[in-house]
Amino acid sequence: MSEKLLVVKDLSTTFATAGGPLPAVGGVSFDLGENETIGIVGESGSGKTVLSRTIMGLQPRTNVTVTGSAQIDGFEVVGASENEKRKIWGTEVAMIFQDPMTSLNPVMRIGKQIDESLRVRLGMSKADAKARAIELLELVGIPSPTERYSAYPGQLSGGMRQRVVIAIALACSPKLLMADEPTTGLDVTIQAQILNLLDELRGRLKMSVILVTHDLGVVATRTSRIIVMYAGRIVETGTTRDVFYHHRMPYTRALLESSPKVSNHSHTRLITIPGRPPNLLKLSDGCSFAPRCKFATDQCHLVRPELQPSVEPGHSFACWNPLPVNQNEATT
Amino acid sequence: MLRYVAKRLVLLFGIVFVISVGSFYLIHLLPGNPATVILGFGASPEAKAALYRQLGLAHPIYLQYFTWISNVVRGNLGTSFISQTSVAGTIRAALPIDLEIIVLSQILAFATAIPAAMRSAKRPDGPVDRLLGASSFTLLSIPPFIIIVLMVLFISIKLGVPHTGPSSYVSFASDPLGNLASLSLPSITLAIGSFVVYYRILRSDLISTLQEEFITMARSKGLSQRRIMWSHAFRPSSVALLGAAGVNIGGLLAAGFVVQYLLAIPGLGYTLITAINMSDFLLVQGIVLTVSVGVVVINFLFDFIINMVDPRISRE
Repeated sequence: MSEKLLVVKDLSTTFATAGGPLPAVGGVSFDLGENETIGIVGESGSGKTVLSRTIMGLQPRTNVTVTGSAQIDGFEVVGASENEKRKIWGTEVAMIFQDPMTSLNPVMRIGKQIDESLRVRLGMSKADAKARAIELLELVGIPSPTERYSAYPGQLSGGMRQRVVIAIALACSPKLLMADEPTTGLDVTIQAQILNLLDELRGRLKMSVILVTHDLGVVATRTSRIIVMYAGRIVETGTTRDVFYHHRMPYTRALLESSPKVSNHSHTRLITIPGRPPNLLKLSDGCSFAPRCKFATDQCHLVRPELQPSVEPGHSFACWNPLPVNQNEATT
Repeated sequence: MLRYVAKRLVLLFGIVFVISVGSFYLIHLLPGNPATVILGFGASPEAKAALYRQLGLAHPIYLQYFTWISNVVRGNLGTSFISQTSVAGTIRAALPIDLEIIVLSQILAFATAIPAAMRSAKRPDGPVDRLLGASSFTLLSIPPFIIIVLMVLFISIKLGVPHTGPSSYVSFASDPLGNLASLSLPSITLAIGSFVVYYRILRSDLISTLQEEFITMARSKGLSQRRIMWSHAFRPSSVALLGAAGVNIGGLLAAGFVVQYLLAIPGLGYTLITAINMSDFLLVQGIVLTVSVGVVVINFLFDFIINMVDPRISRE
């Protein structure tokens, strides 16, 4: 158990764009044990999706530079060729994509989309693969799986499609499951269903999960640790409890405050973070959150703070003017 | 799906009806009495009067159409007054040559355009893509009648390959290899035009399909690039290609006419041009009807194939 399933060290992803190099992910390090769930949270454009794709080596094949290291069960992903990475895709690490409307092939029957992994990757016979695919459809809670097997994605609802996407990800029993905003494209009522399904499957199939989301409510009860990202960098990380109740980084607090809460009176004005996420093409040398931070000082604008440990074990943050340690626990 | 096919079939019959009326009326559109038109101006008044009676030209026009169409449906397109042979028989002898040229040219075009488009789409703006793009554009700008003349010059005359020059048509039954050789130049010429169209359409559709999220998803399953290209990208990218092929094949009949005439290959095109020159109006009418119905049926078939390829179309 001491062996970590995933070790990420100083991982950076830079896209070559017409406007110059775009550092989508910079210097990210963390690790993940077996059967553990970690949450990666941040606003749109904070680099969560690029990070999760880079970890499994699924970034676009051209105009992108990846440095650092990401080891999945001992396999170094960074610098590996597409053919080498293919050996771990599906079997060691799989991904659930954000939008089930676009992530399924619209002109291929869903049964075939599941079968294909089983036959190509696990070498199953046609009949075995079909039986297993129907089992998988049943596992993810699709009613009458035998009939759905030959349906096209367009004949299923969004929630059902996301279940199919999950079934495809699970087909070759990966050890690590990347869930990139798995519920963002779905109705609120379906979101909880899908998240509970993921939770249940993780327990049953003994997987580690990276849950990427912008919605703190999603990670609150389902992860052991949380990574908060801003402008492609980790700004705070710690146990879920520490991030929610003992956060030090003003951005984490702002993110928590801007989530709507059921306990609020109706018509309460929703707190928003002023300003916009920075343009990654024009990052300053300082803290990238400084322009939107009410605590920012000159130092914040000039020098980027590195991650430093807080009082709790495993809790660290990147801020020159952190919030006090003993703060009010009633933020959520 | 069935409803869609039924709807298209009704439409098909509607169009075929309009075509038949058009072809029938063709002869009445020409100046003078149809009997004069058919027999030529030099015919004797007795012959004209006999034909006038035989065609039932004294009857109202809708009755004439009815008599004509009921013969056509039974495969009787009349007898040419110029050559004294059955029009249907002449067409039946010539049509297989057109079909063979079209089938050969399309096999060649698809067999080259699909791999070329895939190669280009793999690395858009890469050296292979640029080379293919430039050469396809060059080919597109040379008309078929120039290509055929150049090919006759180099392949038949300079290299001396047998059975490829003008008037060298050999029937398949008498000499299968010679037959393929004699149709190779027209097939290649038509294939070049089709290749350029298919290559360009498929290339751009593949490039946009390869940006889709479901392709990234297919990658994440650990599938090979070849498999992703063929089983995930190709099918959703081929709708516009098939639509273009349907229209293009109709157009090939006409492009084939020029090529056949230049090489003196006795297909429908050659026969039609000869018939026009000889004022053999019944034969012209028969060929126009056959070709028009052929184009409509080909388009119908392609609509049907497109539906099989992309199930989203008939569902909408």
